[in-house]
Amino acid sequence: MGPLFTFSLRQLASRGRLLLLLILVSLPVGLAILVSATIGEDETSNREFINTLLDGLLIGTIMPIVSMVLATAAFGNEVEDRTLSFLVLKPISRLRIVSAKLLAAIAVGCPLVIVSGLTATLVGGSGPGARIVELDGTFQATLAVGVALFAGFVAYCALFTWAGLVSTRALPYALVYVVIWEGLISSILDGVRYLSVRGYTLAIMHGLDDKSFAELSDRVIEFPAGILGVVIVTAGFLWLAVRRLDRMDVT
Amino acid sequence: MTGPATGTATPTIEVDRLSKWFGNVVAVNDVSLQVYPGITGLLGANGAGKTTLLRVIAGLAKPSEGSARMLGEAVRVNPNLYRRVGVMSEQEAVYEKLTGRELVEFAGRLHGLERLAPAVDRAIEIVGLVDVQDRAIGTYSRGMRQRIRLGATLVHDPEVILLDEPLNGTDPRQRIEFQEVMHRLAAEGRTILISSHILEEVETLADSILLMVSGKLAASGDFHAIRAKLDERPYKVRVVAGDPRSMAAALIELEAVESVAVDREGALVVLSKNVDALQRSIPRLARDRAIRLLRVEPLDESLESVFGYLVDT
Repeated sequence: MGPLFTFSLRQLASRGRLLLLLILVSLPVGLAILVSATIGEDETSNREFINTLLDGLLIGTIMPIVSMVLATAAFGNEVEDRTLSFLVLKPISRLRIVSAKLLAAIAVGCPLVIVSGLTATLVGGSGPGARIVELDGTFQATLAVGVALFAGFVAYCALFTWAGLVSTRALPYALVYVVIWEGLISSILDGVRYLSVRGYTLAIMHGLDDKSFAELSDRVIEFPAGILGVVIVTAGFLWLAVRRLDRMDVT
Repeated sequence: MTGPATGTATPTIEVDRLSKWFGNVVAVNDVSLQVYPGITGLLGANGAGKTTLLRVIAGLAKPSEGSARMLGEAVRVNPNLYRRVGVMSEQEAVYEKLTGRELVEFAGRLHGLERLAPAVDRAIEIVGLVDVQDRAIGTYSRGMRQRIRLGATLVHDPEVILLDEPLNGTDPRQRIEFQEVMHRLAAEGRTILISSHILEEVETLADSILLMVSGKLAASGDFHAIRAKLDERPYKVRVVAGDPRSMAAALIELEAVESVAVDREGALVVLSKNVDALQRSIPRLARDRAIRLLRVEPLDESLESVFGYLVDT
């Protein structure tokens, strides 16, 4: 995979950062276990599980925060520590440098988020207590959650990798973006869902299993639009990051 | 411009009317120069524009105007050029958690070296850190960090070496070793451009110098010729003495002194074309004639840094 990818993995997977991320991704699982053990099976529980746990907590909060923590640090640390010149003075194209950083952020965080999402869905769908999610065909629902989380995580990572190159304060800015744009505005204004990674993620999840996630039907954009959105955001911010690295003065 | 020994060599580095500014601050102002194989010293006070010029030459910063070329190629966003170039920037930032060997290995891997281990061994040996190569860089002294960074800069055996203040934090023995390494690399036909704000460092290292003053190239060429030329320039020096009349009478007798005037505050303004001789003579005169010497300072602000170099040495 290349020395820069391996090195970036090592940089991002520090013990402290991993511990923080593990705590974050265990929240949806813990909540799913708690809810499935304590409440009964009915339509309200099913709706709440999808709205609160999958959409609100996992896709709306945990996934962007995990990707933000990792992707803003991918270049943010190099810029802040003034080690970026060490990389750009090597015979490696800017595209390879950005790709290695992006892939490292995805490789560290994506498995954590996907495992968290899959476990929470499985627990919710066939948990030890009352069955609170009507996941007809749990495998398909689980697959939908996994694929959607992967797509959303990749898109977020591309966006935040670029942000880490643009500003040394990328993390707080990214947090404001997630809370205001992805959390608040995209859930209020229908049209914004076409410009929201959260909207794309939900669209993919719903598109892959519209029966299990019928609850989302009235507020998701079209499945192809979701896929196209992820592709455009990922490719677009990858291109912007390469361009930024091309044009910036490296200290 | 620093000329080649033979007069026919192709310049390794060519800078043409290069300027770089940050907002209203002009860091490098209309600099043109050529650098040939051998060791060239980029000399100037802190803030003279050396680091900015080196960063532009290395391709790390975009010039506001003008251009820089190295080995006949554009320097900006030209990754392949870095196979032939080694750059050690001024800041001491390093990956602290890596060991010294890991850093040099990482540099070698990024350069795609096929025979990595021998190259790493050689680079670490050159910088004299064999015994501590497996220690984390975070535990290194400032001088050791500089040396391991130099090792990482040399691991791919570059034709052109750009070093920004490489001797910061090194002790006298390490400086001598560093000079030996640089002379050996230069003798192999490499082009080495070393920036420094200390004249003595450059004097012992470089065949020729580029002298930066306030963002401009004040002089370039053979080190000794430039120093002699600088010495010949008239300088105004302000001398405050306990008995200015006697001091003025003594100063005017010196061969190095062109004229002596008295300013409104009663201080002497001495015009000299040989500031070295003047520097040596003033304290001696004051001592011999029992005159209390209170202050000696250069007056021409634009030449202050140049004067500072000469006086400091």
